[in-house]
Amino acid sequence: MRFLDSWVTPAKTAACLTLLVGLSAGLGLNMRTVEPNISPFAAEDESQGACSTPSGSLPGTVEASGLETATGGDIVPVRFVGDPYPSLHSVAVDPENNKVVMTDSNRGGLLVYDRAAGTPLDSSAVSEPLTQVRGPATGMMFVAGVASDPRNHELFAVNNDIGDRMEVFPSDAEGNTKPKRILFVPHGSWGVALNPKREEVAITVEHANTVVVYRRNASLGDAPLRVLHGSNTGLQDPHGISFDEAHNEISVANHGNWAPLTRAESLQGELKGGKFDLPSITTYAGDANEDQAATRKIQGKHTELNWPMGIALDPVHDEIAVASYGNDSILIFQRDAQGDVTPVRTIGGSRTGIAGPMGVSIDAKNDEIWVTNYREHSAAVFARTARGNVAPKRVLRNAPSGSPAVGFGNPGAVAYDSKRDQILVPN
Amino acid sequence: MHGIAYDAVHDEMIVPVHLAGAVLVFHGDANGEEGPVRMIQGPHTQILRPETVTVDVPHGEIIVGEDGGKDILVFSRQAQGDAAPLRIIRGLKTGLDEVRGVAVDPARNVIVVSSYSKKGTTGLFVFNRTDEGDVAPKAVIAGPRTGIIRIRQVEVDSAQGRIFAAVKNNTESYRFEALLPSPWNSAELGFIGVWDITDNGDVAPRAILKGPASGMVWPAGVAFNARNHEIYTIDSVRNGMLAYSVPEFFRVNSAEKQQPTVH
Repeated sequence: MRFLDSWVTPAKTAACLTLLVGLSAGLGLNMRTVEPNISPFAAEDESQGACSTPSGSLPGTVEASGLETATGGDIVPVRFVGDPYPSLHSVAVDPENNKVVMTDSNRGGLLVYDRAAGTPLDSSAVSEPLTQVRGPATGMMFVAGVASDPRNHELFAVNNDIGDRMEVFPSDAEGNTKPKRILFVPHGSWGVALNPKREEVAITVEHANTVVVYRRNASLGDAPLRVLHGSNTGLQDPHGISFDEAHNEISVANHGNWAPLTRAESLQGELKGGKFDLPSITTYAGDANEDQAATRKIQGKHTELNWPMGIALDPVHDEIAVASYGNDSILIFQRDAQGDVTPVRTIGGSRTGIAGPMGVSIDAKNDEIWVTNYREHSAAVFARTARGNVAPKRVLRNAPSGSPAVGFGNPGAVAYDSKRDQILVPN
Repeated sequence: MHGIAYDAVHDEMIVPVHLAGAVLVFHGDANGEEGPVRMIQGPHTQILRPETVTVDVPHGEIIVGEDGGKDILVFSRQAQGDAAPLRIIRGLKTGLDEVRGVAVDPARNVIVVSSYSKKGTTGLFVFNRTDEGDVAPKAVIAGPRTGIIRIRQVEVDSAQGRIFAAVKNNTESYRFEALLPSPWNSAELGFIGVWDITDNGDVAPRAILKGPASGMVWPAGVAFNARNHEIYTIDSVRNGMLAYSVPEFFRVNSAEKQQPTVH
């Protein structure tokens, strides 16, 4: 099974995919047999740089029933829908070292760019990363949140729905490299934030409505220092997280979804069922633990919060930026805002190039805001004080302009719509 | 969302929302930020974290499977709001643990459930459609010959009496101490397996899609298009959807043509 342990470059994957589509759709061939050199899932032949199909054992003989003996086997798909390019998920800017790191949830990797990289919005140029970290040895799978630690020259990446690990790499890591250390984290972890003063790392857990805090250098099966969880916390499908070193606070972006984890939890107090609440930003004391309530909450129809994903703190200007995925905008609030407040600034509209913002990071040193677009193969950089429907200062594209972003996020099911002859995939 | 079902008769999509304890029903042509036409949610539904769903059109029922709840909840197809389930299959005798998939054969009056268990049995559990409470399954397809280690979505082709299962087998093998560790356990690749609806015990799949050329590593979902003889899967590692043309999977022999009638 060489292909699983090797790594296919994006360009090579795309080339193989193109060939498959061309043969199966363009020429109308029925690609049902194993054809060396045309499988999109073939191994990288390191010596020749070509696509090749490794030999693999066919499944065992099956018994006859309504189906013929040995029906099926190692059959090449007639169609494949997937994205050969990285999907930019979360972002962390490091102004001290003039670098920006982004997670690629589609192909399980990290991309590190020069902080000044990018071109005007109307340019179709693709920006090349300085380095990429990806491949089986990295352990990165459906990777979500990312954090940069310039002081210790480390990058933190958290796997979301599969993987259940946080990987920590040296900031100069490259290629299919083993992490410096890994930490086993709860299933459904999403966001990650560092507090250098406390030497801690905090992680949000979607599924369990939880924030777990570990020592910064925790590894393998180390237990968390604190677990924030319970009905008083107001954690509801938490995603983005920021650690405020100066004020010793943790802020969390919540989608607003909640359901009991267990039958016992549903029976605690009054009978509980699932619910959709309004999204919120909740803030806790930095050492909050167990079922401790938030000290502040931003929530309500005036907040414009809609599927809040990543959040970022600007300690210099005392502001919080939120990537609001559902309405394609970046919302900026005063750090200590609470209640049903309107953002002090909003960046959104057709000129901004914002499409499905997943990550946000503030570079107070260079007065810039970084945004990763999940529904496009791009990241946009705005002036820190930008507001309204304004063009970004520059855009990083990681695919040719117009390349569709498929948007799969580790899908777990599929259905066939026989009325429309369509295939339905929930994310 | 970890599941989906399509009701061709009423042109509706049904999805479980795991993190909000809800089942949503949308128009078949829903698009954008369109609200559901019906929603099942609330304490009286007994829904905790719905993982999977299917629809029994002839009997007018929506069937929900839960991983954390370790159960099957059956609702009226038109249930709305905080509605109580019509029936529940739950308890030690059921053998159900983390329910990952559910399908129904309304013609043969059976519900097929895929369930993963760290301590108990992982496999396909077949119940009578109207079973209720803590009941034992009428059949369990599990064991080393099945190849099932971890399993997710399941579908039933009622016309042929066949079970299609996405056998994900996502047993991670990331050994950090290794020089170049890998999460993929290449000795236990996932596959799409096909069984007869009457199978019971440690039975090898009657048909299979598996191997390096198939592109599958950890297939999480399965659906079929009988008209065009295609099988669809989505794969967690590929983060993509794959379609296979397999006419032989839909070849009906003379005995199978005598399909039972719906009661």
